[in-house]
Amino acid sequence: MRNRFRDVMIVVVTAAVVAILCLSGTRTAGQGQAPQIKRTSGKPDFSGIWQANNGANWDLLSHPARAAILMQAGTQPLAPLPAAPSLAFGAAGGVPGSLGVVDGDQIPYKAEASAQKKDNADHWFDRDPETKCYLPGIPRAMYLPYPFQIFQGTNKIQMVYEFANAARTIHMDTVDPPPDDTWMGHSVGRWEGDTLVVNVTNFNDKTWLSRAGDFHSDGLHLIERFTPISNDAIRYEVTVEDPNVFTRPWKMSMPLYRRLESNAQLLDYRCTEMVEERLYGHLRKQQLVKRWEGENMIVDITRRVPPPDVLYQR
Amino acid sequence: MRHRLLASMVALAAATALLSLVQVSITGQTQTNAAKPTSATKPAATATSLRTSWGEPDLQGIWGGETLTPLERPARFADKPVLSEKEAADVTAEILARPGRDRRGERGTEKDVAGAYNAVWQAQGESLADRRTSLIVDPPDGKIPPLTPEAQKRDQQRRELLAAMLQGTSGGRPGSPSPRRAEVPVLYNVDRMNRADGPEDRSLPERCLGGMVPDWNAFYRIVQSPGALTIFYDTGQGQGFHRIVPTNGSPHLPSRMRQWWGDARGHWEGNTLVVDTTNFTPKTDFRGSRENLHLVERLTRADANRLSYEVTIDDPTTFTRSWTISVPWVKQNEQENRVFEPTCHVGNYGLLGMMANTRFAEKAFAEGKGPDPATMDIATGGGGGGIE
Repeated sequence: MRNRFRDVMIVVVTAAVVAILCLSGTRTAGQGQAPQIKRTSGKPDFSGIWQANNGANWDLLSHPARAAILMQAGTQPLAPLPAAPSLAFGAAGGVPGSLGVVDGDQIPYKAEASAQKKDNADHWFDRDPETKCYLPGIPRAMYLPYPFQIFQGTNKIQMVYEFANAARTIHMDTVDPPPDDTWMGHSVGRWEGDTLVVNVTNFNDKTWLSRAGDFHSDGLHLIERFTPISNDAIRYEVTVEDPNVFTRPWKMSMPLYRRLESNAQLLDYRCTEMVEERLYGHLRKQQLVKRWEGENMIVDITRRVPPPDVLYQR
Repeated sequence: MRHRLLASMVALAAATALLSLVQVSITGQTQTNAAKPTSATKPAATATSLRTSWGEPDLQGIWGGETLTPLERPARFADKPVLSEKEAADVTAEILARPGRDRRGERGTEKDVAGAYNAVWQAQGESLADRRTSLIVDPPDGKIPPLTPEAQKRDQQRRELLAAMLQGTSGGRPGSPSPRRAEVPVLYNVDRMNRADGPEDRSLPERCLGGMVPDWNAFYRIVQSPGALTIFYDTGQGQGFHRIVPTNGSPHLPSRMRQWWGDARGHWEGNTLVVDTTNFTPKTDFRGSRENLHLVERLTRADANRLSYEVTIDDPTTFTRSWTISVPWVKQNEQENRVFEPTCHVGNYGLLGMMANTRFAEKAFAEGKGPDPATMDIATGGGGGGIE
């Protein structure tokens, strides 16, 4: 009787020890984080296809929905109307509402910079570099409405964006700085635990941060943080610093979602060809895009050849 | 019986404890560099150190494909696919001594202006590729195979239209400007026509649409991850592009999806990454091949400083047989990081200027203040350099 009790206790205790060791083995392998995150060389592996899903590209700040990117005066202050380029699109050309991605829901522009931002927004059709298929810069490439693919290699993390086949290299090793200012910035990364921290510098002043005219100077400096929420979501945070434009650093954050389709793939969005009419059409020997006759309206287009200093402006 | 039960339970617990500890130490190990970038003088590393941490042969790094070996074998080397060391040294010295792009046309002519770049702008290789006289290794004569009759006809139609547009200019045959100047080409235009009515009259590179595959003698950055790798082609004048090669066994795109750089799928055969690319757009032209182009590439990490790059070009509607190019890619200095973002389109003053200036020339001619633009050559240009 006493021997059988001891045998049973031995089995129970041993089983408990085995169970504890198995569980602790798994937990130790995950370094205390959720066990489902794929890792390579002990670090979260962000390789795969991702996309933001928010209104940041329209406007980083919270904004209600409106009929079009640019509006014009109507009969009453509370009821503006879509400007002419957007009219035919109807609800397909509207701006959805968004809660914004900026801490404090405010971007601390200096006074003159604030006026520049408003001027940018008022001339969106003419000036947003996105419409010209120019390189979108960082952080905008991260929240454009197109997917991007991350390749987490040994010493480099490459991000390739579907929009315009843009890309950037995050250097996890030591490299010489670029020979000139860049559109996509110079990214240097390191790990802090499970967070990838990326320092981005060496920008030119030519990209915007959104379709609301948010801009920067060549003094832009970003600190990005990529932290896994799960294997299929990343918390993406950016601290933005530019003493030429902003009165203090400010921060935006948003989730990035993994594209889970089994056949998920980046496709061509080689918009260089798509924007030729927009950029060069006014210089054709014969104008080709002049008039459209729909059932509800006729749209006539008159091109303008800008004066030389603007014509060659980039 | 009691002792045996106790002994076996203790053994089981001990074995489990041991396994758990081993598991922890595998996943807890710090990241190791699969292959350290080296200068050309370091000895070749062993096979194990040239693998990624997840066990694939490591193709990563910046690679350079520039050599002095031409694509096709020159006539004077018809019977010599590979030169001796002395022959190779002599030929190399001879090529490097040539003026190349420093060779000028007659000063004051359109041709001289169109030459645009002299040799200081041009990087060329420093040596032949493995002392070979052609980059083409198959067929054995080192030449591009003959075109099919239909491809010859397409090529002839194209050349005839381009020549007609140059008639009566300094770059073409004599005569008055041809009425064919107003014609639209049969296929999507990729050439520099002698016309600038609109952007599609200019060549793909002028429109910053020039980056194309296959490409074998530029600079490349390869970043590899489990399931996919990407190759940045730093090619042409800011015409660079990224190709994505999934290695996860997924199938090609549906055939209605045509892509500028095709649709690539990779798989490993031993130490070689084999990449199969289809679904090309009809808007690119590789030596006469358009949407039916099919590439099979082989990338092998030969040693610490060398990646063997091979591409087999296959298009039965264009070439009478498939053909293969082989180029040794040489590892570049990672710290110097000499690849740059592609900025052709964001700075394309050339296309803007070509169109604006042609409109100005037409206006001047209409006012009797300048020559007839139809008699001017805005298509041919300079060139030169390399083994002939």
